[in-house]
Amino acid sequence: MSKPILIIGGGPAGLAAAHSLGTVGKQSILIEKEDRLGGAPILSGYAKLVPSGEWAKDAIGGMVKRVEDNENVRIETGAKVVSFNGEPGNFTAKLSNGNTVEAEAAILCSGFTHFDSVNKPEWGFGTYEDVVTTTQVEQMISSGQGVRCPSDSRKPKRVAILLCVGSRDRQIGREWCSKICCTVSSNLAMEIREELPDCHVYIYYMDIRTFGLYETKYYWRSQEEFKVKYIKARIAEVTSDGEKLIVKGEDTLVKRPITIPFDMVVHAIGMDPNVDNDEIANTFGIDLEQHGFIDVANRYGVMGATSRPGVYVAGAATGPETIDDSIAQGHAAAMAVLSGLKESAKSA
Amino acid sequence: MPIHEKSLIRPENLKTHDKLVLDGIDVSGHWSTFIETRVVSDYNEALEEEISALPGGEYIHRCWQCGSCTNSCTVHAINPDFNPRFWIYLIRMGMESELLRDKDIIWQCVSCNKCTYACPRDVVPEGVMKATAHWLERKGHTPKSPSTHFDEVFTEQVIATGKIEESRTIRRFFKRTNQGLMQSWMVEMVKRMLRHLPIGLLSRMGLATFIAPRTSNWSSAASAIQEYIDEQHDKQDKALSLSELIDVAQKDAAA
Repeated sequence: MSKPILIIGGGPAGLAAAHSLGTVGKQSILIEKEDRLGGAPILSGYAKLVPSGEWAKDAIGGMVKRVEDNENVRIETGAKVVSFNGEPGNFTAKLSNGNTVEAEAAILCSGFTHFDSVNKPEWGFGTYEDVVTTTQVEQMISSGQGVRCPSDSRKPKRVAILLCVGSRDRQIGREWCSKICCTVSSNLAMEIREELPDCHVYIYYMDIRTFGLYETKYYWRSQEEFKVKYIKARIAEVTSDGEKLIVKGEDTLVKRPITIPFDMVVHAIGMDPNVDNDEIANTFGIDLEQHGFIDVANRYGVMGATSRPGVYVAGAATGPETIDDSIAQGHAAAMAVLSGLKESAKSA
Repeated sequence: MPIHEKSLIRPENLKTHDKLVLDGIDVSGHWSTFIETRVVSDYNEALEEEISALPGGEYIHRCWQCGSCTNSCTVHAINPDFNPRFWIYLIRMGMESELLRDKDIIWQCVSCNKCTYACPRDVVPEGVMKATAHWLERKGHTPKSPSTHFDEVFTEQVIATGKIEESRTIRRFFKRTNQGLMQSWMVEMVKRMLRHLPIGLLSRMGLATFIAPRTSNWSSAASAIQEYIDEQHDKQDKALSLSELIDVAQKDAAA
């Protein structure tokens, strides 16, 4: 009798994989450590998604509903896998809620963890209330509250967005580019300008990496239609004069030091490997790549193969990833699982 | 230790004091030279909008600082201080005092438009240079340039008569710019014209110099043009906050 497929993580990748498998009549068990499905876009309260412009609660919420309504998907929330043994086609997993499940294969869709800005204390997060993260601004927008300074709920007149917070920084052991923060930040800058037309938004960058088609949709559009200002500078420190936040750095294009007052400073936080990745690697017996994300063992033959046969990976668990690519990888991993099972049935 | 970025220290920012004691320590003389701060302490957010309100400056906000304009610039090849990329940046960020340091070379743009064709974002840097030169004049940072005087006498004449009469334009232009009429090249040109041009043409030109013929039924067209120009100038004055400045000046004068 055929066994189900184990899917770890109920974010965009996991939801896509569960949907794909369910649609072709393959049973799956979706394990989510939090109390509900949706992953970062739902749990962190994202606002409008890039590049569709749809609200996260509608777009990803729709994916959640589709999986919840699928009779081939069994959902276990508030649970983790504590042990995982066996061979491809015949794995046994123990869950933290005491259940034991059997599975033919597993897809790890365990995603990422947002960088914690407290680890860059020189940029004032945790010290000054009005220093916030992109995630917090997303929440301000998605909750309908609007962009306000947390200290006194005033509308900011001037906002600085600092890019590469927790990315491309050897000092804190995060050498990767988190890939989406430039695009997300220019999107947020436009949202701020739209809500508060009198508010000036400055983006401090090292490079702008709004890759592919995002160039015109986000970088150009934010400059040309929304008059967002981009300054090539890596900020040295964020302090306060008691009234305003003071941003210090060097404007590299004019070789001039700058000390500029702002009402609000936003950290464009990067994507860390999931904090549980060591545990996940141990439990599933798979390798991590040098930065701590889950290593992809085969780039060209099998989609989302890890170092262990029968265990697959998709989405931001493999490194910083966009939502739509995570979804595509989830579908692709489901396909890889199914074709892998066919192959082993043939050779048996 | 040698100063590696010596070029960044401007002579006017070097301060020495013949006699100065700070906290009981004598800091007089060359050995205690001070350097004034170069720190940019704020942006003037109105600057970009002011420039973009003037003809030619409309697309300045598109610039992403690639430097194609400066690299293709005819004037930059001769004078490395002529740097459109840099000025566009200063304007966009609102570093007004820094921009004013170059007020006496910005007008040097020769409008060859090589930058216009090189610019990947279609900023039209040549237009920005024109707008910036006009901004400097309108704000009173630089005197009216000869070319502005020329544009004015030219336009005035078109509005008045619907025609251009070159010798009148030249005479008025020379008068406005305090130049004598009897310049050697001018004398030479008139001499040769008298020698080579047919009598009929010469006499018609001579007549036009004195009686200034008008295009028939010109007055309604003239008032429409004048109205449009006034409208544009009003808009620009508002964008540049010039009307407020004039109000303040008038109130000061009355008080």
